[in-house]
Amino acid sequence: MEKRVIKKDALAGIIKNISNDMLVYAPVQDEDNVLFKVLESGMEPLVEYANTKNAPKNFFFPQTETMMKYFRTERGKELSEVVEDAADAVLFGVRPCDARSFVLLDNVFDDPKYKDSYYIARREKTVIVSLACVHPPYTTCFCTSVGGHPMSSEGSDVVLTDLGDVYLVEFMTPKGEKLIEKMGNLEVADEALDAKKQELSDNAEKEIKSHIPANDIKPWLDENFENPFWDTIHRSCLACGTCTYLCPTCHCFDITDEVKGEEGRRIRTWDSCMSWLFTMETSGHNPRTSQKERWRQRLMHKFKYFVDNYGAVACVGCGRCVINCPVNIDIRKIVTDISKL
Amino acid sequence: MQNNPYVPIPVDVEKIITEVTTKDIKTFRFTFVNKEDEENFKYLPGQFGELSIFGKGESPIGIASSPTQPGYIEFTVQKAGVVTSELHSMEEGTRMGIRGPLGNTWPIEYLEGKNIVIVGGGFAFTTLRSLINYMTFEKNRSRFGNITVVYGSREPGLLIYKDELAAWEKRDDINMNVTVDKGDETWTGREGFVPTVCKEVAPSSENAVAVICGPPIMIRFTLPVFFELGFSKENIYTSLEMRMKCGIGKCGRCNVGNKYVCKDGPVFSLAELDTLTKEY
Repeated sequence: MEKRVIKKDALAGIIKNISNDMLVYAPVQDEDNVLFKVLESGMEPLVEYANTKNAPKNFFFPQTETMMKYFRTERGKELSEVVEDAADAVLFGVRPCDARSFVLLDNVFDDPKYKDSYYIARREKTVIVSLACVHPPYTTCFCTSVGGHPMSSEGSDVVLTDLGDVYLVEFMTPKGEKLIEKMGNLEVADEALDAKKQELSDNAEKEIKSHIPANDIKPWLDENFENPFWDTIHRSCLACGTCTYLCPTCHCFDITDEVKGEEGRRIRTWDSCMSWLFTMETSGHNPRTSQKERWRQRLMHKFKYFVDNYGAVACVGCGRCVINCPVNIDIRKIVTDISKL
Repeated sequence: MQNNPYVPIPVDVEKIITEVTTKDIKTFRFTFVNKEDEENFKYLPGQFGELSIFGKGESPIGIASSPTQPGYIEFTVQKAGVVTSELHSMEEGTRMGIRGPLGNTWPIEYLEGKNIVIVGGGFAFTTLRSLINYMTFEKNRSRFGNITVVYGSREPGLLIYKDELAAWEKRDDINMNVTVDKGDETWTGREGFVPTVCKEVAPSSENAVAVICGPPIMIRFTLPVFFELGFSKENIYTSLEMRMKCGIGKCGRCNVGNKYVCKDGPVFSLAELDTLTKEY
C-alpha cells in the first residue's frame, strides 16, 4: 500500500487544487451547518469539523435526480434522453461511518440481478477520501456497536489520519492511488507512523462512549413482529422523515413524472417509510395503517430485514437521527430497550 | 447506458378489448417497437410488468398473455388511478412503454406432472389466464396432469375473457367451472360463490397444487375449503400485490417482512407466506 504524508496546513490547498481538475464534493461551512457540497472555484474545504449535517449518500443517490427525458410525438410520449451525468470526482472528508454506508448501499443498488446504473456510474467514477476520527466527534457516535470503527478504512479509497503535525495518507485501492499524482509531490510516509496510527486507533475506540446491543436484538425481532412493545415507540413521532433523509443508509425513493409543455422528465427523489403515503395503494388500502407500523418497519428494516438479506445491520452509528430528531426519539434507547425484553 | 433497468421498452398499443359491461376493465395488447426487445422479453406466467406512460407514471400489472402466444404481450387493467385512467383513455396505435418482465413466476417446474386446480375471482384472473393458456398449449399440455378451473364473478357482465372461457369449456382436457354470484335473465350457467363451488367440485388433493387469486374475502373463505380437501400449505400458491415504484427491489416500499413482493414475489406459497409478516 502506498503511504504518504501531508503537512497539516497544506491539506485544504491540495484538495482545492484537485477541484480545479475534477469535481470535488467536500465539507463546507454553510451558515450554522457543515454540509457536503460541490467545491466551487476558489473554495477550500473544511478539514477540521465534527461531521456534516447531511450524509454524503446524496453524491451517489441524489435527493432529486432526472432519470430520463421525453417529448410528445404524434404517437404518444417517447424517450428523448437517458440522463446519466456521472463525471470523475473526489468525495473528500468522509467520516469512516459514512464511508461504510456506501458498502452497505452497494448491496441494494449493485445487486447481482438489477444494477442501478445511476448509482453505479457515479460510484465507479468517484474516489472516496475519508478522514479518520482520531477523536470521535460526538457523544452520540456508536459506530463500534454496528460493525464500524472510528478509524475504519472500509469503503474508503484513501484514508487520511491526523497524526498531530501531519496527515498520514494511505491509498487503499487502485482507484485511490490515481490521486497520488494529483496531490503533488508528497513525502513518503515513514513506517514508524503506523505504530502511532495504531495507538491513536486504540484510543479512538476507547473514546466511543455510546454502546448499543445492535447485533443482539435480531432473535427478538425474528419472533416479535406482534408485540405490545411496538405500541410504545412511535407515539411522539411526527412522521417528519428527518431520520430517514439524514440517514446514510436509508435508500427508499419515489419515481415521479413532471411535464412542461411538449417535454417532460422522469425523476427520482428520496422517499421515507415514515410517511403514510409511502405504502398507500390506489384502492385506498394501506398495509401500514399507523405510525406504529411505520416505525416497526424502519427498525425491522435496519436491524432484521437488511441482516437477513445482506448480512449486516443497516446502520453505521453516525448518530444523525439521534441528534436531529425534533422529538428526541433515540434509536439507541429503542435498541437497548428491546435487548432487555 | 445499456441495461438501465429504469428505461421502459417502447411498445405500441395494438388492440384494446373492453372486457366487462361496466367498461372499467380492458385488455391491452402491446407489440414491441423493436424486434430485439421482443426477443429479449422472456417471461413465464405469474410475472408482471410496469406499464410506463411518460408524463403520468408507472403501474405494476400482471402479464395476462402467455409466452406461448408470441408477437405481443397483453395486460388486463382496471381503471383506478392516474396511470390506469390514462391507459383507459388511449387509442389503438399509441406508443408507450413497459418495464419487465419483473418478479417471479408461477412455479411451473413444480407444477409439472401434477394435477392443477386454478381458482380465480373477478378481475384477479389475469396471470391465471396466462397460466391456463401456457398449460393448455399443445406442446405443453402433456407436462401437466388434470386441470380444474373454478372462476367466478359477481355477475355475468363482470366475467373477463369470455371468448376464451367458452373455448376452454369446449375442450375435454380442462374441467371448467364458471360461476357468478347472481345470474341475470340470460345466464344459463352456474350460480354460487367461488368457495361454495370449490366445495361442490371438490378437486382431489392427491398429487395436486392449487393456484388461487381473488379478492381477499374470496381467498378467506376459499382457503378452508382447500385445507378440508387435504391441500397442504406447500401446495397452495397465490400472488400478492403491494404499492410499487421501482419493481426491482430498491425503492423499499413493497416489502412483506424481509421479502420484496416485486423481486422475491409476487408468487408465494401459503407455507412461504406463513414465514412472513402479515403486513399486506
